[in-house]
Amino acid sequence: MIIEMKNIRKQFGALEVLKDISFGVDSGEVVSIIGPSGSGKSTLLRCATFLETIDGGEITYIGETVAHTDGSGKAVYVPHKEMRKFRSYCGLVFQQFNLFPHYSVLKNLTDAPVEVQHRSREEAEATAMELLRKMGIADKASAYPYQLSGGQQQRVAIARALAMKPEILFFDEPTSALDPELTGEVLKVIRQLAEEKMTMVVVTHEMSFAKAVSNRVIFMDGGVIVEHGDPSAVFDDPKEERTKQFLRVFER
Amino acid sequence: MTFSTMLSTMAAGMLRTGGIFVLTLLGSLPLGMIIALLRKSKNPIVRGIIHVYISVLRGTPLMLQLLVWYFGPYYLFGWSIRGWRFPSLILGFILNYAAYFAEIYRGGIESMPVGQYEAAEVLGYTKAQTFLRIILPQVIKRIMPSVTNEVITLVKDTSLAFTLAYQEVFSLAKQISASQTSFMPFVIAGVFYFVANYGVQFLMERIEKTMDYYR
Repeated sequence: MIIEMKNIRKQFGALEVLKDISFGVDSGEVVSIIGPSGSGKSTLLRCATFLETIDGGEITYIGETVAHTDGSGKAVYVPHKEMRKFRSYCGLVFQQFNLFPHYSVLKNLTDAPVEVQHRSREEAEATAMELLRKMGIADKASAYPYQLSGGQQQRVAIARALAMKPEILFFDEPTSALDPELTGEVLKVIRQLAEEKMTMVVVTHEMSFAKAVSNRVIFMDGGVIVEHGDPSAVFDDPKEERTKQFLRVFER
Repeated sequence: MTFSTMLSTMAAGMLRTGGIFVLTLLGSLPLGMIIALLRKSKNPIVRGIIHVYISVLRGTPLMLQLLVWYFGPYYLFGWSIRGWRFPSLILGFILNYAAYFAEIYRGGIESMPVGQYEAAEVLGYTKAQTFLRIILPQVIKRIMPSVTNEVITLVKDTSLAFTLAYQEVFSLAKQISASQTSFMPFVIAGVFYFVANYGVQFLMERIEKTMDYYR
C-alpha cells in the first residue's frame, strides 16, 4: 500500500466533514472519488496531502505511520522534521492549477526539486523537459503561466507535481475549471499516466473518464464512503440507493 | 545675494534633503516589513503593540512626531544629547514611514491567493522559502504603485525638517526669502522638489517595468 487511511475523522467547527473514512491505495492503482459537492472528497484529499490535519484516525504512507489517534482520542502527527519526508511521497494537482505566475514554466518545474530536494539544476531541468515533452508542451518551457490556456496550465501543474517524483499523485477536480474542449487534453495525460502505472487518486465529476481509467471507484456522500468497488460494479450495478440517485443525474 | 549664490546655497540644502530621503527609505522600507510580519504574529501582545504603534504614528501629525523625538529626551528625562537634531529627525521619519509601509505590505500580503501558499506547502517549501521565493516577489509587484505614492510624498515631507531648523532646502528657501525679500527661493525650491520627484517617478516606472514579464 502506498497510502492507507483508517477511520479518518475531520471537523470544521461543529460540521463533521469526514466521518470514519477508511481506504487505501496500492502501488500502480488509479482510484476515482466521485460524489456531490460538500461530500468531503476534497477534504479527504487535503488530509491525505497534509494541507489539513485530521482530528482522528490513522494515516500510513508506505508502511510508515504519519498520524495516529492517541489514548485521548486525538490525532497525533510525527514531528515536524519527519513530515518533510511524507510530504515528498505525495503530490497534489489543484482545481485552480495554482502555478507560480512569476516563474517560467520550466522554473515552475525545477524550483522545488532544486530548492526543496536539493537536486542538481542540470538533472532537474532534464527531468522537467522530459515531463513537458510527455505533456506535449515542451515548446512552452520558457513561457509564463498567463500566456498559456487553462488546459496547458493544468498540464504544467501536473508536470510540476511529477517533477518531485512522488509515490502517489492526487488530483482535486483537475478539469472542473476547464471548458469541455480543454478537459479532454488534461484527461488524456492523466490516462497516459495511468497506463504507465502511476499511482493516482482522482476526485472528479467526469464519470466516463472515471469508469474508463480507474481500477476502483469510491462514491462519497455526507462525509462517508457510501459505495466502493470496481468501476463497472459501482457505475453499472450500484447497490446503494444514494449512488443510483447520484448517477442518474449524470445520465440525463 | 546673486542668483548663483542663492542657487548653490540651496543646492547644498537639496543634498541634505536627499540625505533625509535616502536614510528614511533605507530604514523604513525594511522596518515596515518587520512590522507587517509582527502584525501577523501569533502572540496577541506583540500584535497589540504593533496595532497601537501603527494607529498612533498614522493618527498624529508627522511634524508633531518630529518635535517629540527631538525634544522628548530633554523634557522627559532631562537628557541633552549633543548632535541629536539630525538623528532625531531621521528616527522620526523612519518610524512614521515604516508604519505606512507596513500597512502597504500587509495589504499586499493579504491579497495573495491562498492557493499560492498551498501549492508551495504541498511541494515541500519551508515557511521562509514560501515567503521569500513565492509570496514576496508577487507582493512587491502588487504594491509598487502604492509604494511609489509614499516615496513621492516622502520627497515633499522632508520639508517638515524645517520644524527642527535643519538646513535642508525648504528651511533655506524660507530664510533666504526673508533675508533677501525675494520670491525666487520658493521658485527654486519648487523646481528642485519637482525635478527630484520626476526622477523618483521615472525610476519607479523602470522598476515596475522589470516586473512586467508576468501577470
